Amino acid sequence: MTHSHRDDAPAEFSLFRRKILIGGGVILGSLAATPIATIAADSAESTYPNQFLEISALLIPHRLDRDVGLRLAAALRMKDPTFEAHVSGLIHIAKQKNAKIVEDFFPDVPDGPLKDAALLIVSAWYLGVIVDASDAEVFAYELALMYQPTIDVMTIPSYAISGPNGWTSQAPPLSEIPSF
Amino acid sequence: MANEDSADVIVVGTGIVGCLVAEQMLDKGLSVLMLEAGPRVDRWRIVENYRNLPPTLRLHFDAPYPPKAWAPHLESYSDGAAAEYLQLEGPNARAYRQGYVRYAGGATWHWAGICWRLTPQDMRLKSLYGVGRDSPFDYDTLEPYYTRAEYAIGVCGPSDPALQWPPIRSKPYPMGPLPFGPGAQRFTDAAARIGLKNVPSAQARNSRIAYDGRPPCCGNNNCIPVCPIAAKYDAATALPKIEAKGGRIRANAVAYRVETGPKNAIEAVHYFDPDKISHRVTGKMFVLACNGIETPKLLLLSRDERNPKGVANSSDQLGRNMMDQPKLVAELTLAEPMWTGVGPVQGSSIMQTSQGEFRGRHGGALFRFNNMARSTFGGVAAVRKGLVGKALDAEIRRLSACTAEIAIEHELLPDPNNRLTLSDKKDWLGINKPNIYYDVGDYVRRCAQEYSVPLVRKLAAELGAVDTQVSTVFTNSDHIMGGMIMGANPTDSVVDPDCRAHDHPNLFLPGGGAMTTSGCGNSTLTMAALALKAGDAVIDQARRG
Repeated sequence: MTHSHRDDAPAEFSLFRRKILIGGGVILGSLAATPIATIAADSAESTYPNQFLEISALLIPHRLDRDVGLRLAAALRMKDPTFEAHVSGLIHIAKQKNAKIVEDFFPDVPDGPLKDAALLIVSAWYLGVIVDASDAEVFAYELALMYQPTIDVMTIPSYAISGPNGWTSQAPPLSEIPSF
Repeated sequence: MANEDSADVIVVGTGIVGCLVAEQMLDKGLSVLMLEAGPRVDRWRIVENYRNLPPTLRLHFDAPYPPKAWAPHLESYSDGAAAEYLQLEGPNARAYRQGYVRYAGGATWHWAGICWRLTPQDMRLKSLYGVGRDSPFDYDTLEPYYTRAEYAIGVCGPSDPALQWPPIRSKPYPMGPLPFGPGAQRFTDAAARIGLKNVPSAQARNSRIAYDGRPPCCGNNNCIPVCPIAAKYDAATALPKIEAKGGRIRANAVAYRVETGPKNAIEAVHYFDPDKISHRVTGKMFVLACNGIETPKLLLLSRDERNPKGVANSSDQLGRNMMDQPKLVAELTLAEPMWTGVGPVQGSSIMQTSQGEFRGRHGGALFRFNNMARSTFGGVAAVRKGLVGKALDAEIRRLSACTAEIAIEHELLPDPNNRLTLSDKKDWLGINKPNIYYDVGDYVRRCAQEYSVPLVRKLAAELGAVDTQVSTVFTNSDHIMGGMIMGANPTDSVVDPDCRAHDHPNLFLPGGGAMTTSGCGNSTLTMAALALKAGDAVIDQARRG
């Protein structure tokens, strides 16, 4: 029998979709062609990745994973070459308002490309994808922020938050949103 | 007689039924060769496939199991994709989009692990209510096999008979029940206030202790589409055990013809490998356990001069009586949090509503609080509202906590018009795709109109729902039954009470296809019990030569 089609054969242990693992982070699909070292080198010459992390921190009042941010930054710019300009525009508005949190400046972001870009950044961090479509690349699973507002109760599917029979029917009040 | 292409027993299919039979054969010293149409994969790959799905696709439990070209199965991610393999027609075609994967280990990879038994009444529908069919044997005959199945796969459940369903058992469950999360408890309390009892499910999930080399459930809340730690039984966990006992498993081997001999005994099974090369395997006994769709398809494909309507089809009942439990879903929005996502994805149901004198007029129904974490639903819905900051977090929490889903699964009667035939459309290997006509019938529709939908609205109100949307289109429950229906009379049934084909003395067709009635509960434990009963018959027959 040929084993050319066996999926459990050791020779086929090369990772299927996840191609490159760097520092615990994962590069997916087409992004595999853009090693993270390239992004790091770019950042010395271009402020875009840092600007992306800066505006992400202003739009989202939570701890953000740097590796996820760098991957999202690269993918968003690859998808839309004007994205970099939108990031600069958003930072400009935030600085004008001397913003510390999103509520300080978001009402001043005009409808149109700038607001769309802001919401896309928020959406990507929360959902872990840029588009929620069948062929979309996943940039974050357990680090997708949508799991965090309920992390005191709900399991991130496939991860356990307790041990054998270690859960109960007790739950905290709705108003107590976890810190994350 | 074992050589590379032969064995005492040829088992086609590596799901729960095929694996239980294979282990039974091996334990009695018979040689076994198993054929599996699909690939054999490791658990980590399925888990990684799942985590790499975009959020909305994670709700499609077949999505982490991309089919191989040679072993297609229904893909549910779009209507177009869903129409590719199973050819469905009839008034309720949508309700037969059966989710199964053609992978070694079968559909138990992504089952919920729920292990309801039929009741004595379920098995005597014709006698008691004048509808459907009676099983050719009674509950007492099946009970020992239910118990053996529960111990074979490791089923947990309550020791208090008041919480058991049905409370007619010869032995306790091998493990005690799993705890309820907050949602299941609130559902139970609300049901009790209107006189309904929500009972802990019997589940093939290890409770508190390791069982059969698998770890205890830690509440990963991912039973569907894959238990990442194999605390839930799936047949993939049986494959190494089968090999350790000397069984041989041939993956990517697509059976396409069952060959009969001059006395109409089965002599061989022919299969294609992924290079489209045909192979022939021979044995003394043959067990087809490819599920309730693929087995009738294979037998219809195998028609020959002796069996012009298909192998095992002198009754013309092969592929008829296709059953499932047509499902409706109530989506609730509540003022107060319900909370899902604590513990397994399913863990309890209201079962008393499956029984009653009403069964002469309409079917019964099961009501289940679905416990899959709703954080993905809440996250996607809140983000789409364009919210940011604290408002976004609060809305995710509210939508995740204060929404709930109740599934209603309806009892369906066997109807010969609900029929699987061979489509003119061919798959990648040139094999006819299955075509299924499906009408849930007035028995189900009356239940929904007069009984189940009014009752779910009452339940929703008691839970404090501020909005309740009940689906109006029946969908699939993925419990494929009926296509090789069992009976004592060879003129109106396909298999005998041991799941032996009436037409072929050495051909066994155990599993859901043999079931005479759907009941309301998940069918897997009955399939497993029938597998063990058939296995005993195979062994007995092998001994007698």
